[in-house]
Amino acid sequence: MRKLVCIIIALFAMGFFLPGAVTAADPIVIGAPLATAFLYGWDAERGIKLAADEINAAGGVKVGNTKRPFKVEVIDTRDLEPGVPVSEALLGLEKLILEKKADFIIGGPVRSEAALAAMDLLNRYKKVSILTTGVLTPAYHKKVAENYNKYKYCFRNTSHVGVMMPEFLTLLEDMRKAYGFKTAAIMVQDVAHARAGGEAMEKALKGKGWTVLAPKIYPTGTTDYSVGLTDAGKNGAQILFLWMDMPESTILLKQWADMKLKCIPIGFVNAAEQPGFMKASGGKGEYLIVNLVNGGNAPAKITPWTMKFVDAYKKKWGLEPEGYGTSSSYMAVYQLKDAIEKAGSTDSDKVVTALENGDIMGVYGRMRFDKKTHQIIPSLDPKEGAVTGIIQWQKGKRVQIFPPKVADAKIVLPPWMK
Amino acid sequence: MELLVYGIINSITLSLVSLGFTLVYSISRVPNFAHGALYVASGYLTWLFLNEFMGFPYLLAILLGVIITSLVGAAIYQFILVRIRGMEISEIIATYAIGLAILEGLRWGGLRGGTFVLPAFFPGSVSILGVSVDYQRLIIVGAGILTFIILYLFTRLTKVGLAFRGIAQDERAAMMLGINSDMTAVLSLAIGSALAGLAAVLLLPLGNIVVEGGYNVLVFAVAVCVIGGLGSWGGVIVASFIIGFAQIMTEYFISAHYQMVVALLAIIITLLVKPSGIFGKQKELEERV
Amino acid sequence: MRKERIDRGLKVRTEGIYAITSAREILYLMGPRILLIVGLLALPLIFELAPYWKKVINIMCAYALLALSFDFLANYVGLVCLGGAFFTGVGGYFAAIFNVELGMPVWISMPLATVTGAVLCTLFLLPCLPLRGVYFAIVTLMYPLLFTRIIEALNILGGTNGMTGLDALPNAYAENYLIIVVALAFLFAMRRFVNEDVGLVLRAVKDNDQSVRASGISVTRMRIIGVFVAALLGCFAGAYIAHLYMWAGISLFALDFSIIPIAAVVIGGGGTLVGALIGAFILVPLSEVLRAFGTFRIVIYCIILTGFIVFKSEGIMIFLQRKYHQFERWVKV
Repeated sequence: MRKLVCIIIALFAMGFFLPGAVTAADPIVIGAPLATAFLYGWDAERGIKLAADEINAAGGVKVGNTKRPFKVEVIDTRDLEPGVPVSEALLGLEKLILEKKADFIIGGPVRSEAALAAMDLLNRYKKVSILTTGVLTPAYHKKVAENYNKYKYCFRNTSHVGVMMPEFLTLLEDMRKAYGFKTAAIMVQDVAHARAGGEAMEKALKGKGWTVLAPKIYPTGTTDYSVGLTDAGKNGAQILFLWMDMPESTILLKQWADMKLKCIPIGFVNAAEQPGFMKASGGKGEYLIVNLVNGGNAPAKITPWTMKFVDAYKKKWGLEPEGYGTSSSYMAVYQLKDAIEKAGSTDSDKVVTALENGDIMGVYGRMRFDKKTHQIIPSLDPKEGAVTGIIQWQKGKRVQIFPPKVADAKIVLPPWMK
Repeated sequence: MELLVYGIINSITLSLVSLGFTLVYSISRVPNFAHGALYVASGYLTWLFLNEFMGFPYLLAILLGVIITSLVGAAIYQFILVRIRGMEISEIIATYAIGLAILEGLRWGGLRGGTFVLPAFFPGSVSILGVSVDYQRLIIVGAGILTFIILYLFTRLTKVGLAFRGIAQDERAAMMLGINSDMTAVLSLAIGSALAGLAAVLLLPLGNIVVEGGYNVLVFAVAVCVIGGLGSWGGVIVASFIIGFAQIMTEYFISAHYQMVVALLAIIITLLVKPSGIFGKQKELEERV
Repeated sequence: MRKERIDRGLKVRTEGIYAITSAREILYLMGPRILLIVGLLALPLIFELAPYWKKVINIMCAYALLALSFDFLANYVGLVCLGGAFFTGVGGYFAAIFNVELGMPVWISMPLATVTGAVLCTLFLLPCLPLRGVYFAIVTLMYPLLFTRIIEALNILGGTNGMTGLDALPNAYAENYLIIVVALAFLFAMRRFVNEDVGLVLRAVKDNDQSVRASGISVTRMRIIGVFVAALLGCFAGAYIAHLYMWAGISLFALDFSIIPIAAVVIGGGGTLVGALIGAFILVPLSEVLRAFGTFRIVIYCIILTGFIVFKSEGIMIFLQRKYHQFERWVKV
């Protein structure tokens, strides 16, 4: 009993005193609130650390006349774990700001609910944040636009549903022209962003004259998709539009491959982003087309920097960039560096202005923030704006197939579709 | 037609998942909330034997995975539950905490992301009554039915099985007849955990091994057992068919995202109308104040 | 040889008239209470230099309220509630509705959300109140899941994005002292409540419901009172968290709000009410310190929890009380 109390006190003391002892005044501290036990968390962490290491190796950030290094403080927000309240993630964010003395926030919180709730906190502490992963909802930048003075510290350098949808539509229209497809089935997960994505897609495709089967909405954790799939097969769907961020979506793809359905799956599938997906699906994921939200999350030739980034990542972490959130987290550090150097200070308001005026060529194209919404400006041309990364699994590798300007290969149809 | 075929498959899947839970409860009156964790652990163990430790043949890996899981189950009873036997709340909290520790420990130990997968026993699919079904699902149906039959015979023909039923019906009388209550409880946990493991190796090839799976399995096992009547075996089968078909029908006629709501509503309605569940006759008098 | 426990002389004396005649006896009686009250009130000042830990105090006290509610239901009413999250969720959403949709100021929306939330929770739990056994536990475990699903499926109340833009509390001290004072007030109010007439009948319901019924008192009605009181505590915690972080979302129904309070009661000692507070004051900071270990911290506190249940099921508070009131000595048999 007494021992236990001692241990608890010791642990408590450790947590309380250690961080205080380590903090030095010199470096610029980047706080990264991320759900580190999940994809979108650990890959973002690796991206941020890689960029910070590169910058520090080159001498650091020039603030006025002094060079200061970056220091990355990662905290586990646990916000992707089921059963953990968002207040836990917000507490983590406060820990970064109050205890780790973070000057800037890069990364999450990863879950939309938490990120939206965090905006009020960021305003309270006046900390500049670049959101780089997890949050796809347009509500984020709309909130900034509606109340600029309150939320001006929030930036987002990844794409969102409002941009991804038209891009998907362009891709599907291209495929209709090339192969004569005209029927689509939609299957989405039962979460708000996925449902909204499915509905928007249905409307958009109908508007273009496609035949769209009634969307199927699956609860998180569904392990059987046979009813929906046979239904799609019977009604002659050629496109299977998916929007899911649960690991069970691998089951859907396996069932699709086993049934040899005459349709090609396209969409936002979290489970199919990682390099290890091919092995996990037992090769059944071949031909799947996945949106990685931003370019550079898989090997591609978007800008000269893209492959440089991919190689550096491989060298440091032993595998290719893993998925959504990797390249954007990496770039956010560079954008921040650029802004701090231009502002000549780490003062939040000055950095906000500098970020608004920032304009650099990055891993996935030209990086500029919209001045009103603080959302990265998208484009299909890397010279004009940030480019998406839509890839297809071909021969067990992720190959960039869209947008056409930076595509490495053409779409391949499954042999049983011919 | 798909309704029928996939309804049956879904129902048998559900009953496989909840069989272990109900067996433990009916015999030792321990609500084993670590059930879901054992399910995931056994799948992960099999995966480890298959891929990490010198690549055992699949069958051997499965056997090892299931056996180790059942040993873990027995150990949980022998070292922990035996001390708090009979205190229902403590049992629930302790088993739940153990389950949580196993699951989150696995996550911490590297079980994250969607890359952990068991291969199907036989790849490919076949068409039954015009519905395409893959072999793995057929195996599940076959194995499920086989498990029921074996368990039925086991509890009626072998001495251990009869002891199980004796303890389940009247613990005191059974103890008077020289049946060791703790020993049967250990065995019941071992068998219950092995059933969880068996369900895992059968079902996981359809999907992938994820920590969240453990929570889902637990929710479904509890749901099926409550509707069927806690501790009633016949009830489990009937309840899994009710929930199984209800889910497939909701998906077919309404929309898939009401599946979970249907299951949860079914539980609440059952509790209101017939709290002891469909087949829980003997305890009914005790439930209402 | 065998160990024998004997009440301290001081304890025996203070039970009689001497309690008010000597400073020492008064101190013996009041000491622990004053220590708790003063200690808790001083906590925000002690942590003046570590602003982050002041935030932890808020969450800690919110969990303490939930633990109090669990302890009261389980050990005085005889209902095991596995869904503290149900209370926080309902309370939090009501606060958001009152504050954001109807534009009420904080000091109205929070109490109003507490009361209306408690009424709603009681109504929803009404059907399983006439039942004995594990059914209340199962239903309370299911309700948070069900509500999450319904909000997701129907996309109401902000759907999965939640509702943001609630008014914040004026400053850090207001945040701290609001929850600390409320937690202390509820603690001492509950201690008195369980010894009032109503409380005594409630405890009788737990011990022997048939005899209560035989006395012509409706068991269901008594339980409604019990659940309403417990829901008040939980809903206040929910409304407070919603205002603290200016947000209400489906994760207010998260499992943590159900599990941590239970663990706190187990560790602190069930049936003492103070134990629930103490347990939360140990668990929440501990889990915060272990944050660096990622999900491994859940493993650690699950092991601690199991250890307590199995080896020290009385909990810290009862252990401390014994040490305070009694001493032990070896005697020859």
